[in-house]
Amino acid sequence: MAVCIKIAAGESLSRVFLQKGAAVERYDIVIEEGGKAEITFVTLPEGEICNDICVKFAGRNASCVLRGLYITRGSGRASYNITMNHDVPDCYSNQLFKGLLYDASRADFYGLVKVPAYCIGTEAYQANHNLLLSEDARVRTLPQLEIYADDVKCSHGATIGRLNEDELFYMQSRGISRETARRLQQMAFAAEILDTLPEDIQAQALEYIPN
Amino acid sequence: MLQIKDLHASVADREILKGINLSIGRGEVHAIMGPNGAGKSTLSGVLAGKSAYSVTSGSVTYNGKDLLEMSPEERSWAGVFLGFQYPTEIPGVTNAAFLKAAVAEHRKSKGLPDLSAAELMRLFREKMAVVEMDKSFLSRGVNVGFSGGEKKRNEIFQMAVLEPQLALLDETDSGLDVDALRIVGNGINSLRTADNSFVVITHYQRLLDYIVPDFIHVLYDGRIIKSAGKELALEIEEKGYDWIIKEAENK
Ligand SMILES: Nc1ncnc2c1ncn2[C@@H]1O[C@H](COP(=O)(O)OP(=O)(O)O)[C@@H](O)[C@H]1O
Ligand SMILES: [Mg+2]
Repeated sequence: MAVCIKIAAGESLSRVFLQKGAAVERYDIVIEEGGKAEITFVTLPEGEICNDICVKFAGRNASCVLRGLYITRGSGRASYNITMNHDVPDCYSNQLFKGLLYDASRADFYGLVKVPAYCIGTEAYQANHNLLLSEDARVRTLPQLEIYADDVKCSHGATIGRLNEDELFYMQSRGISRETARRLQQMAFAAEILDTLPEDIQAQALEYIPN
Repeated sequence: MLQIKDLHASVADREILKGINLSIGRGEVHAIMGPNGAGKSTLSGVLAGKSAYSVTSGSVTYNGKDLLEMSPEERSWAGVFLGFQYPTEIPGVTNAAFLKAAVAEHRKSKGLPDLSAAELMRLFREKMAVVEMDKSFLSRGVNVGFSGGEKKRNEIFQMAVLEPQLALLDETDSGLDVDALRIVGNGINSLRTADNSFVVITHYQRLLDYIVPDFIHVLYDGRIIKSAGKELALEIEEKGYDWIIKEAENK
Protein backbone atom coordinates (compact mmCIF):
# COMPACT_ATOMS: atom_id res chain seq x y z
CA MET A 1 0.00 0.00 0.00
CA ALA A 2 1.24 3.50 -0.72
CA VAL A 3 0.42 6.47 1.42
CA CYS A 4 1.11 10.01 0.24
CA ILE A 5 1.14 12.72 2.82
CA LYS A 6 1.53 16.33 1.87
CA ILE A 7 1.75 18.98 4.53
CA ALA A 8 0.97 22.39 3.09
CA ALA A 9 2.91 25.50 4.06
CA GLY A 10 2.42 26.36 7.70
CA GLU A 11 0.22 23.34 8.41
CA SER A 12 0.78 20.66 11.05
CA LEU A 13 -0.07 17.03 10.92
CA SER A 14 0.19 14.33 13.51
CA ARG A 15 -0.55 10.72 12.63
CA VAL A 16 -0.07 7.28 14.09
CA PHE A 17 0.03 4.25 11.81
CA LEU A 18 -0.73 0.97 13.53
CA GLN A 19 0.62 -1.93 11.50
CA LYS A 20 -0.33 -5.53 12.17
CA GLY A 21 -0.14 -8.82 10.36
CA ALA A 22 1.96 -8.73 7.21
CA ALA A 23 2.29 -5.87 4.79
CA VAL A 24 4.46 -3.93 2.39
CA GLU A 25 3.99 -0.22 2.94
CA ARG A 26 5.29 2.86 1.25
CA TYR A 27 5.01 6.35 2.70
CA ASP A 28 5.85 9.47 0.74
CA ILE A 29 5.88 12.52 2.92
CA VAL A 30 6.32 16.01 1.53
CA ILE A 31 6.50 19.00 3.84
CA GLU A 32 6.24 22.55 2.55
CA GLU A 33 7.61 25.72 4.08
CA GLY A 34 7.02 25.95 7.80
CA GLY A 35 5.03 22.70 7.81
CA LYS A 36 5.28 20.27 10.69
CA ALA A 37 4.84 16.53 10.51
CA GLU A 38 4.82 14.18 13.47
CA ILE A 39 4.36 10.60 12.37
CA THR A 40 4.54 7.46 14.48
CA PHE A 41 4.69 3.88 13.29
CA VAL A 42 3.61 1.14 15.63
CA THR A 43 4.62 -2.11 14.04
CA LEU A 44 3.33 -5.39 15.46
CA PRO A 45 4.02 -7.99 12.80
CA GLU A 46 2.74 -11.54 12.62
CA GLY A 47 4.50 -12.15 9.32
CA GLU A 48 6.69 -9.54 7.73
CA ILE A 49 5.99 -5.83 7.65
CA CYS A 50 8.22 -3.81 5.31
CA ASN A 51 8.25 -0.04 5.37
CA ASP A 52 9.69 2.24 2.78
CA ILE A 53 9.54 5.77 4.11
CA CYS A 54 10.65 8.78 2.13
CA VAL A 55 10.56 12.33 3.47
CA LYS A 56 11.15 15.42 1.36
CA PHE A 57 11.25 19.01 2.49
CA ALA A 58 9.77 21.40 -0.04
CA GLY A 59 10.32 24.68 1.80
CA ARG A 60 12.39 26.19 4.60
CA ASN A 61 11.73 25.89 8.33
CA ALA A 62 9.81 22.69 7.90
CA SER A 63 10.08 19.96 10.49
CA CYS A 64 9.55 16.24 10.60
CA VAL A 65 9.45 14.01 13.64
CA LEU A 66 9.33 10.28 12.94
CA ARG A 67 8.84 7.78 15.72
CA GLY A 68 8.65 4.05 15.58
CA LEU A 69 7.92 1.28 18.02
CA TYR A 70 8.23 -2.27 16.79
CA ILE A 71 7.49 -5.29 18.88
CA THR A 72 8.31 -8.48 17.07
CA ARG A 73 7.50 -12.00 18.22
CA GLY A 74 7.53 -15.53 16.89
CA SER A 75 8.97 -15.42 13.42
CA GLY A 76 7.68 -11.89 12.87
CA ARG A 77 9.81 -9.35 11.09
CA ALA A 78 9.78 -5.59 10.89
CA SER A 79 11.83 -3.56 8.48
CA TYR A 80 12.22 0.14 7.83
CA ASN A 81 13.98 1.76 4.98
CA ILE A 82 13.93 5.47 5.64
CA THR A 83 15.29 8.29 3.54
CA MET A 84 15.23 11.77 4.99
CA ASN A 85 16.00 14.23 2.21
CA HIS A 86 17.07 17.59 3.54
CA ASP A 87 16.98 19.23 0.12
CA VAL A 88 16.10 22.64 1.55
CA PRO A 89 18.11 24.65 4.11
CA ASP A 90 16.92 25.35 7.66
CA CYS A 91 14.78 22.26 8.12
CA TYR A 92 14.56 20.02 11.16
CA SER A 93 14.18 16.27 11.39
CA ASN A 94 14.22 13.91 14.31
CA GLN A 95 13.82 10.16 14.13
CA LEU A 96 13.52 7.83 17.07
CA PHE A 97 12.84 4.14 16.45
CA LYS A 98 12.76 1.58 19.23
CA GLY A 99 12.28 -2.13 19.04
CA LEU A 100 11.59 -5.01 21.38
CA LEU A 101 12.47 -8.35 19.84
CA TYR A 102 11.30 -11.70 21.16
CA ASP A 103 11.59 -15.33 20.11
CA ALA A 104 13.12 -15.81 16.67
CA SER A 105 11.88 -12.51 15.31
CA ARG A 106 13.99 -9.94 13.54
CA ALA A 107 14.15 -6.33 12.56
CA ASP A 108 16.06 -4.34 9.98
CA PHE A 109 16.56 -0.65 10.20
CA TYR A 110 18.15 1.31 7.37
CA GLY A 111 18.01 5.02 7.81
CA LEU A 112 19.64 7.53 5.56
CA VAL A 113 19.79 11.26 6.20
CA LYS A 114 20.95 13.27 3.17
CA VAL A 115 22.09 16.84 3.49
CA PRO A 116 23.51 18.42 0.31
CA ALA A 117 26.18 21.11 0.53
CA TYR A 118 23.86 24.11 0.16
CA CYS A 119 21.53 23.02 2.95
CA ILE A 120 23.04 24.95 5.81
CA GLY A 121 21.02 25.41 8.96
CA THR A 122 19.90 21.80 8.85
CA GLU A 123 19.19 19.94 12.06
CA ALA A 124 18.87 16.20 11.70
CA TYR A 125 18.83 13.54 14.38
CA GLN A 126 18.36 9.84 14.07
CA ALA A 127 18.40 7.11 16.70
CA ASN A 128 17.56 3.43 16.66
CA HIS A 129 17.54 1.42 19.86
CA ASN A 130 16.85 -2.28 20.18
CA LEU A 131 16.22 -4.57 23.10
CA LEU A 132 16.82 -8.23 22.38
CA LEU A 133 14.75 -10.50 24.61
CA SER A 134 15.78 -13.86 23.32
CA GLU A 135 18.92 -15.55 22.11
CA ASP A 136 17.38 -16.14 18.71
CA ALA A 137 16.15 -12.64 17.95
CA ARG A 138 18.18 -10.72 15.38
CA VAL A 139 18.49 -7.10 14.47
CA ARG A 140 20.41 -5.21 11.84
CA THR A 141 20.65 -1.50 12.15
CA LEU A 142 22.37 0.93 9.88
CA PRO A 143 21.70 4.60 10.49
CA GLN A 144 23.64 6.69 8.03
CA LEU A 145 24.36 10.35 7.56
CA GLU A 146 25.35 11.69 4.19
CA ILE A 147 26.26 15.27 4.93
CA TYR A 148 27.95 17.63 2.57
CA ALA A 149 27.00 20.90 4.26
CA ASP A 150 28.84 22.76 7.02
CA ASP A 151 26.99 24.56 9.76
CA VAL A 152 24.54 21.74 10.42
CA LYS A 153 23.57 19.95 13.60
CA CYS A 154 23.33 16.25 13.05
CA SER A 155 23.68 13.10 15.08
CA HIS A 156 22.86 9.48 14.73
CA GLY A 157 23.18 6.46 16.87
CA ALA A 158 22.14 2.88 17.21
CA THR A 159 22.21 0.46 20.11
CA ILE A 160 21.41 -3.20 20.51
CA GLY A 161 21.10 -4.29 24.11
CA ARG A 162 19.68 -6.85 26.43
CA LEU A 163 17.98 -6.55 29.80
CA ASN A 164 20.37 -5.22 32.38
CA GLU A 165 21.23 -7.87 34.96
CA ASP A 166 22.27 -5.34 37.63
CA GLU A 167 18.95 -3.55 37.33
CA LEU A 168 17.05 -6.85 37.49
CA PHE A 169 18.94 -7.87 40.62
CA TYR A 170 18.34 -4.52 42.26
CA MET A 171 14.61 -4.86 41.67
CA GLN A 172 14.55 -8.49 42.81
CA SER A 173 16.44 -7.55 45.95
CA ARG A 174 13.46 -5.32 46.80
CA GLY A 175 11.02 -8.17 46.34
CA ILE A 176 10.02 -7.47 42.76
CA SER A 177 9.78 -10.86 41.08
CA ARG A 178 12.12 -11.43 38.19
CA GLU A 179 9.19 -11.53 35.77
CA THR A 180 7.83 -8.19 36.92
CA ALA A 181 11.33 -6.73 36.91
CA ARG A 182 11.81 -7.84 33.32
CA ARG A 183 8.50 -6.30 32.36
CA LEU A 184 9.27 -3.02 34.13
CA GLN A 185 12.53 -2.77 32.24
CA GLN A 186 10.82 -3.40 28.92
CA MET A 187 8.22 -0.75 29.74
CA ALA A 188 10.94 1.68 30.69
CA PHE A 189 12.66 1.05 27.39
CA ALA A 190 9.48 1.57 25.36
CA ALA A 191 8.07 4.43 27.44
CA GLU A 192 9.58 7.20 25.34
CA ILE A 193 7.37 6.11 22.43
CA LEU A 194 4.51 4.46 24.33
CA ASP A 195 3.83 7.66 26.25
CA THR A 196 3.18 9.56 23.02
CA LEU A 197 0.56 7.12 21.74
CA PRO A 198 -3.21 7.47 21.94
CA GLU A 199 -4.66 5.18 24.60
CA ASP A 200 -6.22 2.54 22.35
CA ILE A 201 -3.05 2.03 20.33
CA GLN A 202 -0.95 2.08 23.48
CA ALA A 203 -3.12 -0.71 24.86
CA GLN A 204 -2.67 -2.78 21.71
CA ALA A 205 1.09 -2.32 21.83
CA LEU A 206 1.17 -3.30 25.50
CA GLU A 207 -0.81 -6.41 24.75
CA TYR A 208 1.92 -7.37 22.37
CA ILE A 209 4.55 -7.39 25.11
CA PRO A 210 4.46 -10.92 26.55
CA ASN A 211 3.98 -11.42 30.27
CA MET B 1 18.16 -15.61 62.91
CA LEU B 2 21.11 -16.10 60.55
CA GLN B 3 23.80 -18.78 60.69
CA ILE B 4 26.63 -18.71 58.19
CA LYS B 5 28.79 -21.82 58.25
CA ASP B 6 32.11 -22.21 56.45
CA LEU B 7 30.89 -20.19 53.50
CA HIS B 8 33.07 -20.23 50.41
CA ALA B 9 32.18 -18.20 47.34
CA SER B 10 33.90 -17.27 44.14
CA VAL B 11 33.46 -14.91 41.28
CA ALA B 12 34.83 -15.70 37.83
CA ASP B 13 36.58 -18.78 39.28
CA ARG B 14 38.43 -16.74 41.86
CA GLU B 15 37.72 -17.63 45.47
CA ILE B 16 36.74 -14.48 47.38
CA LEU B 17 35.09 -15.84 50.51
CA LYS B 18 37.28 -18.49 52.10
CA GLY B 19 35.28 -19.89 54.96
CA ILE B 20 33.03 -17.38 56.71
CA ASN B 21 31.44 -18.32 60.03
CA LEU B 22 28.99 -15.91 61.56
CA SER B 23 25.88 -16.13 63.71
CA ILE B 24 23.44 -13.28 64.05
CA GLY B 25 20.74 -13.33 66.66
CA ARG B 26 17.42 -11.52 66.71
CA GLY B 27 17.77 -7.84 67.59
CA GLU B 28 21.54 -7.83 67.27
CA VAL B 29 23.69 -5.31 65.46
CA HIS B 30 26.89 -6.58 63.89
CA ALA B 31 29.44 -4.35 62.23
CA ILE B 32 31.77 -5.73 59.59
CA MET B 33 34.93 -3.80 58.96
CA GLY B 34 37.98 -4.56 56.89
CA PRO B 35 40.23 -3.19 54.17
CA ASN B 36 39.05 -2.71 50.59
CA GLY B 37 38.91 -5.91 48.61
CA ALA B 38 38.47 -8.09 51.71
CA GLY B 39 35.17 -9.49 50.45
CA LYS B 40 32.62 -7.46 52.43
CA SER B 41 30.45 -6.60 49.45
CA THR B 42 30.80 -10.13 48.17
CA LEU B 43 29.45 -11.46 51.47
CA SER B 44 26.47 -9.11 51.43
CA GLY B 45 25.87 -9.88 47.74
CA VAL B 46 25.93 -13.63 48.37
CA LEU B 47 23.43 -13.20 51.20
CA ALA B 48 21.11 -11.19 48.95
CA GLY B 49 21.41 -13.74 46.14
CA LYS B 50 23.44 -11.96 43.49
CA SER B 51 23.95 -14.47 40.70
CA ALA B 52 27.45 -13.31 39.73
CA TYR B 53 28.76 -15.03 42.86
CA SER B 54 28.79 -18.78 43.11
CA VAL B 55 28.76 -20.44 46.48
CA THR B 56 31.18 -23.35 46.31
CA SER B 57 30.61 -24.74 49.80
CA GLY B 58 29.16 -23.98 53.19
CA SER B 59 25.65 -23.11 54.30
CA VAL B 60 23.51 -20.17 55.28
CA THR B 61 20.41 -20.72 57.39
CA TYR B 62 17.91 -17.91 57.84
CA ASN B 63 15.06 -18.43 60.29
CA GLY B 64 15.58 -22.16 59.90
CA LYS B 65 15.45 -22.08 56.10
CA ASP B 66 18.22 -22.60 53.57
CA LEU B 67 18.78 -19.04 52.40
CA LEU B 68 20.96 -20.06 49.47
CA GLU B 69 18.07 -22.02 47.94
CA MET B 70 15.90 -18.91 47.75
CA SER B 71 15.67 -16.46 44.85
CA PRO B 72 16.61 -12.83 45.57
CA GLU B 73 12.94 -11.81 45.65
CA GLU B 74 12.05 -14.66 48.01
CA ARG B 75 14.81 -13.49 50.34
CA SER B 76 13.33 -10.00 50.24
CA TRP B 77 9.84 -11.33 51.03
CA ALA B 78 11.36 -13.26 53.92
CA GLY B 79 12.74 -10.03 55.34
CA VAL B 80 16.29 -9.76 54.03
CA PHE B 81 17.31 -6.32 52.79
CA LEU B 82 20.57 -5.27 51.18
CA GLY B 83 21.51 -1.62 51.21
CA PHE B 84 23.82 -1.44 48.20
CA GLN B 85 27.27 0.10 48.38
CA TYR B 86 26.61 1.40 44.87
CA PRO B 87 22.83 1.62 44.37
CA THR B 88 21.79 0.79 40.82
CA GLU B 89 20.25 3.40 38.56
CA ILE B 90 17.14 2.33 36.68
CA PRO B 91 16.36 4.86 33.95
CA GLY B 92 12.72 5.00 32.97
CA VAL B 93 11.34 3.43 36.16
CA THR B 94 10.21 5.96 38.70
CA ASN B 95 10.86 5.51 42.39
CA ALA B 96 7.09 5.41 42.90
CA ALA B 97 6.49 2.65 40.32
CA PHE B 98 9.44 0.71 41.66
CA LEU B 99 8.32 0.81 45.28
CA LYS B 100 4.69 0.25 44.37
CA ALA B 101 5.69 -2.99 42.65
CA ALA B 102 7.88 -3.97 45.59
CA VAL B 103 5.17 -3.32 48.18
CA ALA B 104 2.55 -5.14 46.09
CA GLU B 105 4.69 -8.25 45.80
CA HIS B 106 5.65 -8.23 49.46
CA ARG B 107 1.98 -8.07 50.39
CA LYS B 108 1.06 -10.75 47.88
CA SER B 109 3.68 -13.05 49.38
CA LYS B 110 1.96 -12.63 52.74
CA GLY B 111 -1.52 -13.08 51.28
CA LEU B 112 -2.43 -9.46 51.93
CA PRO B 113 -4.55 -7.38 49.52
CA ASP B 114 -3.04 -4.52 47.53
CA LEU B 115 -2.87 -1.11 49.15
CA SER B 116 -5.05 1.57 47.61
CA ALA B 117 -3.29 4.48 45.93
CA ALA B 118 -4.09 6.66 48.95
CA GLU B 119 -2.78 4.12 51.45
CA LEU B 120 0.37 3.67 49.43
CA MET B 121 0.92 7.42 49.27
CA ARG B 122 0.42 7.67 53.03
CA LEU B 123 3.01 4.94 53.55
CA PHE B 124 5.50 6.67 51.26
CA ARG B 125 4.96 10.04 52.95
CA GLU B 126 5.49 8.59 56.39
CA LYS B 127 8.68 6.82 55.35
CA MET B 128 10.06 9.71 53.33
CA ALA B 129 9.92 11.76 56.49
CA VAL B 130 12.35 9.28 58.08
CA VAL B 131 15.06 10.27 55.62
CA GLU B 132 13.90 13.85 55.07
CA MET B 133 13.12 13.26 51.42
CA ASP B 134 10.72 15.48 49.58
CA LYS B 135 7.91 14.28 47.36
CA SER B 136 9.73 14.99 44.12
CA PHE B 137 11.88 11.90 44.80
CA LEU B 138 8.94 9.68 43.96
CA SER B 139 8.56 10.86 40.40
CA ARG B 140 12.24 10.63 39.56
CA GLY B 141 13.84 7.60 37.92
CA VAL B 142 15.25 5.17 40.49
CA ASN B 143 18.59 6.68 41.56
CA VAL B 144 18.95 8.41 38.18
CA GLY B 145 20.86 11.64 38.58
CA PHE B 146 20.84 11.23 42.36
CA SER B 147 23.86 12.50 44.27
CA GLY B 148 25.78 9.93 46.32
CA GLY B 149 23.99 11.08 49.47
CA GLU B 150 20.56 10.94 47.83
CA LYS B 151 21.19 7.39 46.68
CA LYS B 152 22.05 6.27 50.20
CA ARG B 153 19.03 8.05 51.61
CA ASN B 154 16.93 6.30 48.99
CA GLU B 155 18.28 2.96 50.22
CA ILE B 156 17.19 3.79 53.75
CA PHE B 157 13.82 5.02 52.46
CA GLN B 158 13.29 1.68 50.71
CA MET B 159 14.34 -0.13 53.85
CA ALA B 160 11.85 1.92 55.86
CA VAL B 161 9.06 0.99 53.45
CA LEU B 162 9.91 -2.72 53.40
CA GLU B 163 10.62 -3.08 57.14
CA PRO B 164 13.11 -5.94 56.87
CA GLN B 165 14.02 -8.34 59.64
CA LEU B 166 17.63 -8.52 58.58
CA ALA B 167 19.21 -5.42 57.03
CA LEU B 168 22.63 -5.70 55.42
CA LEU B 169 23.95 -2.18 54.97
CA ASP B 170 26.99 -2.07 52.72
CA GLU B 171 28.91 1.15 53.33
CA THR B 172 25.72 3.13 53.59
CA ASP B 173 27.76 5.83 55.32
CA SER B 174 30.54 6.13 52.75
CA GLY B 175 30.76 9.41 50.91
CA LEU B 176 28.17 11.17 53.07
CA ASP B 177 28.60 14.66 54.42
CA VAL B 178 27.75 15.36 58.04
CA ASP B 179 24.13 16.25 57.32
CA ALA B 180 23.48 13.22 55.14
CA LEU B 181 25.18 11.03 57.73
CA ARG B 182 22.89 12.39 60.43
CA ILE B 183 19.82 11.72 58.27
CA VAL B 184 20.94 8.21 57.35
CA GLY B 185 22.09 7.43 60.91
CA ASN B 186 18.85 8.60 62.47
CA GLY B 187 16.90 6.80 59.76
CA ILE B 188 18.57 3.49 60.52
CA ASN B 189 18.25 4.03 64.23
CA SER B 190 14.54 4.76 64.03
CA LEU B 191 13.99 1.43 62.27
CA ARG B 192 15.61 -0.57 65.01
CA THR B 193 13.33 -2.82 67.02
CA ALA B 194 13.89 -5.69 69.43
CA ASP B 195 13.13 -8.09 66.57
CA ASN B 196 15.19 -6.94 63.65
CA SER B 197 18.89 -7.33 63.12
CA PHE B 198 21.49 -5.30 61.30
CA VAL B 199 24.76 -6.10 59.63
CA VAL B 200 26.51 -2.81 59.08
CA ILE B 201 29.51 -2.80 56.76
CA THR B 202 31.54 0.31 57.40
CA HIS B 203 34.99 1.82 57.55
CA TYR B 204 34.14 4.39 60.18
CA GLN B 205 33.17 4.76 63.78
CA ARG B 206 30.91 7.68 62.94
CA LEU B 207 27.93 5.57 61.74
CA LEU B 208 28.35 3.33 64.76
CA ASP B 209 27.65 6.34 66.96
CA TYR B 210 24.10 6.19 65.64
CA ILE B 211 23.67 2.47 65.58
CA VAL B 212 25.76 0.91 68.30
CA PRO B 213 26.98 -2.56 67.40
CA ASP B 214 26.93 -5.54 69.72
CA PHE B 215 29.81 -7.11 67.82
CA ILE B 216 32.47 -5.98 65.43
CA HIS B 217 34.05 -8.39 62.97
CA VAL B 218 37.10 -7.78 60.85
CA LEU B 219 36.99 -9.37 57.43
CA TYR B 220 40.29 -9.84 55.67
CA ASP B 221 41.09 -11.91 52.60
CA GLY B 222 37.77 -13.71 52.68
CA ARG B 223 37.84 -14.67 56.36
CA ILE B 224 36.75 -13.13 59.62
CA ILE B 225 40.04 -12.70 61.44
CA LYS B 226 38.81 -10.98 64.57
CA SER B 227 35.55 -10.47 66.43
CA ALA B 228 35.16 -8.18 69.43
CA GLY B 229 32.90 -5.65 71.11
CA LYS B 230 32.16 -2.14 69.99
CA GLU B 231 35.45 -0.72 71.34
CA LEU B 232 37.27 -2.32 68.44
CA ALA B 233 35.92 0.26 65.96
CA LEU B 234 37.70 3.10 67.77
CA GLU B 235 40.89 1.12 67.94
CA ILE B 236 40.71 0.41 64.21
CA GLU B 237 40.07 4.03 63.44
CA GLU B 238 43.17 4.93 65.43
CA LYS B 239 45.55 2.17 64.42
CA GLY B 240 44.22 0.75 61.16
CA TYR B 241 44.02 -2.96 60.32
CA ASP B 242 47.68 -3.91 60.11
CA TRP B 243 48.04 -4.97 63.73
CA ILE B 244 44.98 -7.19 63.48
CA ILE B 245 46.26 -8.79 60.30
CA LYS B 246 49.67 -9.41 61.92
CA GLU B 247 48.02 -10.84 65.01
CA ALA B 248 46.01 -13.23 62.82
CA GLU B 249 49.03 -14.27 60.79
CA ASN B 250 50.98 -15.06 63.94
CA LYS B 251 48.31 -17.48 65.07
N1 LIG C 1 32.23 -9.04 39.69
C1 LIG C 1 33.51 -9.25 40.04
N2 LIG C 1 34.39 -9.74 39.14
C2 LIG C 1 35.69 -9.95 39.47
N3 LIG C 1 36.19 -9.72 40.69
C3 LIG C 1 35.38 -9.25 41.62
C4 LIG C 1 33.98 -8.97 41.36
N4 LIG C 1 33.42 -8.51 42.50
C5 LIG C 1 34.41 -8.49 43.41
N5 LIG C 1 35.57 -8.93 42.90
C6 LIG C 1 36.84 -9.03 43.60
O1 LIG C 1 36.59 -9.64 44.84
C7 LIG C 1 37.37 -9.08 45.86
C8 LIG C 1 36.49 -8.62 47.00
O2 LIG C 1 35.68 -7.56 46.55
P1 LIG C 1 34.56 -6.90 47.48
O3 LIG C 1 33.71 -7.97 48.02
O4 LIG C 1 33.91 -5.84 46.68
O5 LIG C 1 35.45 -6.27 48.65
P2 LIG C 1 35.09 -5.15 49.72
O6 LIG C 1 33.64 -4.88 49.66
O7 LIG C 1 35.53 -5.73 51.02
O8 LIG C 1 35.92 -3.96 49.36
C9 LIG C 1 38.16 -7.94 45.23
O9 LIG C 1 39.46 -8.39 44.97
C10 LIG C 1 37.41 -7.68 43.95
O10 LIG C 1 38.30 -7.22 42.97
MG1 LIG D 1 32.59 -3.17 49.23
